[in-house]
Amino acid sequence: MELDLFLRYGPALLEGFGVTVLCWIVGSLGGVVLGFILACLYRWGPAPLRWVIYAYVEVIRGTPFMIQLFLLYYGGPYMGLVLTPIQAGILSFIVYGSPYFAEIFRSGFNAIPLGQIEAARCLGIPEWRIVLRITLPQMLVPITAPLTNFFIILTKETAILATVTVPELLFQVQSMMAETFTYVEPLLALSLFYWFMVTLTARFGAWVETRVTRHLSRA
Amino acid sequence: MSEPILTVRGLSKRFGDFEALRHIDLDVNQNEVLCLIGPSGSGKSTLLRCLNFLEAYDDGEVRLEGELIGWREGGASPRRALASGALRKQRQGIGMVFQQFNLWPHMTALGNVTEALMQVKGLSRKQAEEKAQAALEKVGLSDKAGNHPANLSGGQQQRVAIARAVAMEPRLMLFDEPTSALDPELVGEVLAAMKQMAAEGMTMVVVTHEMGFAAHVADRVAFLDGGRLVGVTPPSEIFGKEPEDPRIQRFLQTYRERNVV
Repeated sequence: MELDLFLRYGPALLEGFGVTVLCWIVGSLGGVVLGFILACLYRWGPAPLRWVIYAYVEVIRGTPFMIQLFLLYYGGPYMGLVLTPIQAGILSFIVYGSPYFAEIFRSGFNAIPLGQIEAARCLGIPEWRIVLRITLPQMLVPITAPLTNFFIILTKETAILATVTVPELLFQVQSMMAETFTYVEPLLALSLFYWFMVTLTARFGAWVETRVTRHLSRA
Repeated sequence: MSEPILTVRGLSKRFGDFEALRHIDLDVNQNEVLCLIGPSGSGKSTLLRCLNFLEAYDDGEVRLEGELIGWREGGASPRRALASGALRKQRQGIGMVFQQFNLWPHMTALGNVTEALMQVKGLSRKQAEEKAQAALEKVGLSDKAGNHPANLSGGQQQRVAIARAVAMEPRLMLFDEPTSALDPELVGEVLAAMKQMAAEGMTMVVVTHEMGFAAHVADRVAFLDGGRLVGVTPPSEIFGKEPEDPRIQRFLQTYRERNVV
């Protein structure tokens, strides 16, 4: 084991760690926000807008993330969109994640019994308040697990960002390997890192789930 | 009997090719309890849901104290629905209780009652909670205020739903088969709460299969069949003697047969 390698490459790895977490958090949260907006527009928007959203979801879900990333980073400049690798990484994450999140939210909206919404309407509660106070808190129950799942998938997708020279962890590890001809230790350490992130995300998801399902348990 | 508070004229409702309601004329008087009875699929629930525009009726009028429900006044054709704010305002005057209770399971009993008081009436939390406590006490559930619906029996849940509607001080209460989803031993407590409301002078339209309630609490009973209003009579004329209309006879016959055995 050449553990001193890690000390030598410490700063680079730390930078890679920071970039990975940045792309993952900002990209996923951006994807969640965009996905939620898409799901709302799909539910309440006019028909033409719904078709556009439907097409967007189909296209993005139907193509590999790496191709989307390449198109954005290498094809972007042809459309006047010049991005740094990190910007391209975050933006592609948002674009890639949003349709999946939109679908999760769509199913969440559908999971709330219509009767509860009607009861609120009968009392004169405005629609947006119904969403905020009745639909959203309850839809967290069925969507927390799929949301957590997709966050986990995105954690590991950050590795693909190395292909457009985003200085994230895999990218740093690759230069480490190329310069030192050591492969096993860096890759094992990298795997350990992803496993740690995934476990942390899963734990957080489980914690949220117990909180949002509390009202369902019988005393 | 006083002035009608609710007038229904020429009400029709179609679902595709199916005519759910055909030209219904009906008045409900102030402080009156009107029960809607009839075979399943006769349009009772649809009629009730048209009264607060949960179903947009196609033709005719529903007026609460003279105000057209759901549609804009004026003879525009096709009619235009009211702006959402105006419809919400109208609905505040009409309470509704559902067969499936439709409580919000993530809120406590108290939370279910305070929600609209705060969000719609604009009461402070403290005012809303006082009012909600009073409403829950009225249905005998003041000690269950902190329970979530999952920890209440069906009868208790339905009484919370009644408290939720009544706390808004509606001018008219609609009940859509409020006891049909309950175990038989829990029906009584819900009917008792409704009887008390009736005794206090609440105007109520009740879709029900509880013939006992219709016979003893209703001022009048309306019988629907195939989307048509067959008749509106005092309960004594339906339950006291043999009704003249063969459709009502048949309907009551099946009830008697079921209840005798």
